[in-house]
Amino acid sequence: MSKANGARRVVVTGQGVVSSIGIGVPDFWAAVRRGDNGIGTITLFPHGDLYITIAGEVKGFDPQQRCPSKPFLLADRYSQFAGSAAIEAMTQAGITGKVEDGFRAASIIGSGIGGLTTIELGYDDLFIKQKKATHPLTLLRSIASSAAAHVSIEYGIKGPCFGTVSACSTAAHAIGLTYQMIRSGMIDLGVAGASEACITFGSMRSWQAMRVLSPEGCFPFAKRRNGTVLAEGAGILVLEDLEHARARGARILAEVKGFGMTSDAADMVNPSIEGPSVAMQMALDDAGLSPDDIDYINAHGTATTINDINETRAIRQVFGNAANKVCVSSTKSMHGHCLGAGGGVEAVASIMAINDNFVPATIGFDEPGAECDLDYVPNVGRAREVNYVMSNSFAFGGLNAVLVFGPAPD
Amino acid sequence: MDEVADKIVAILKKTMKNPPETIPMDTKLSDLEIESIDLAVIVFDIEDTFGIQIPYNANEEVQDFATVGSVVERVKSIIAEKGNTAGAAA
Repeated sequence: MSKANGARRVVVTGQGVVSSIGIGVPDFWAAVRRGDNGIGTITLFPHGDLYITIAGEVKGFDPQQRCPSKPFLLADRYSQFAGSAAIEAMTQAGITGKVEDGFRAASIIGSGIGGLTTIELGYDDLFIKQKKATHPLTLLRSIASSAAAHVSIEYGIKGPCFGTVSACSTAAHAIGLTYQMIRSGMIDLGVAGASEACITFGSMRSWQAMRVLSPEGCFPFAKRRNGTVLAEGAGILVLEDLEHARARGARILAEVKGFGMTSDAADMVNPSIEGPSVAMQMALDDAGLSPDDIDYINAHGTATTINDINETRAIRQVFGNAANKVCVSSTKSMHGHCLGAGGGVEAVASIMAINDNFVPATIGFDEPGAECDLDYVPNVGRAREVNYVMSNSFAFGGLNAVLVFGPAPD
Repeated sequence: MDEVADKIVAILKKTMKNPPETIPMDTKLSDLEIESIDLAVIVFDIEDTFGIQIPYNANEEVQDFATVGSVVERVKSIIAEKGNTAGAAA
């Protein structure tokens, strides 16, 4: 039944993903199990004078196949990824037409930067090609609320509809807020997550200037790590009130047990330990779980010097002795840093870890970096019982969002 | 007059909250209270001023950025390399 205090429980009845290691959950998860590396030389545009020329590009994405309705076909790449993931998730949830009670459903799909490809092409048209006007769809393609709106239109979702914007925590915030809305009784169903498709020349130049990208690859927690690698993708869940899911006979994949969100209130780039650790503790408290209950932490693990040490310390602070036995891995080592979409892609990895009793590896791991002394599941994934997974997202500006997932309720 | 050193010191002072009158070459960058993203901004300013590209990864310990003097030397050597390359191409 419900929690002791009568609160509603929120479950996952569908999931969808687009990533550099696979489009669609089956391909994605098979790649995760194999330890595939989705990072490679950029092919989306000419490199020019870029000195960082690698990224996690999504390969072979066919919008005609993945998001065939007209609004998606005319949309920016970021919306198309969102469409693909949302349609996959809703199809798995058994919803192919309009949702039953539109006003009691939500579409919360965020993005770090929205339709950046469209924006860049627009400026090219205006300033370089000196065209008199941009394409009329330019604005609608650019804004970071369009994916959420497209999904709402696709499924007749008439309740809350907007995009979250919180850099690398965007997707986790979307999922967490939707979970809270369902739990509050405001809605019964939500399509939640985020999408990012910002591998453009301008974006790479901007990121290069921050000096945090690696020219070689993404090696979280490893001694060899020297920065992160950008990627594109989308991760979207269908969240539902447990009783609502049971009433319509939906297959339940997992439960959203808890959500914590905090801010460092410190620095735009350097994380604090307090913000992430309080967010993790909040998520545990919300879930009614203790650190010992967590089998696997899907880390934020960006492979920057600073995040990995900070996250390790924060985990030790919250988990105490339990830190010595929890598995911690960063799937960013495989799919790259999907920025706003990261938390969504990683939510899918977390849910699959529970369903498959398999902990993904941190690939590319030579030896532990200094002060990185947890079990990072180096190089080879591990088959073991997985019941509760914590998924961390820590963003620029010190924006922290932590989700805890558990098995489908009996 | 060391024009390169002067320009670099001017850039450093611009980014600092309370810049001192003079900044000797052996001053450690870490002593100048330059933190976080400020270093990337300083490197960008230097690159823009001299029309060069400075290889620098914030995730790595870079000896080039230990002292003000080492930054000046690195910039001078990149300018020289650039000059040589241009000469060779001509």
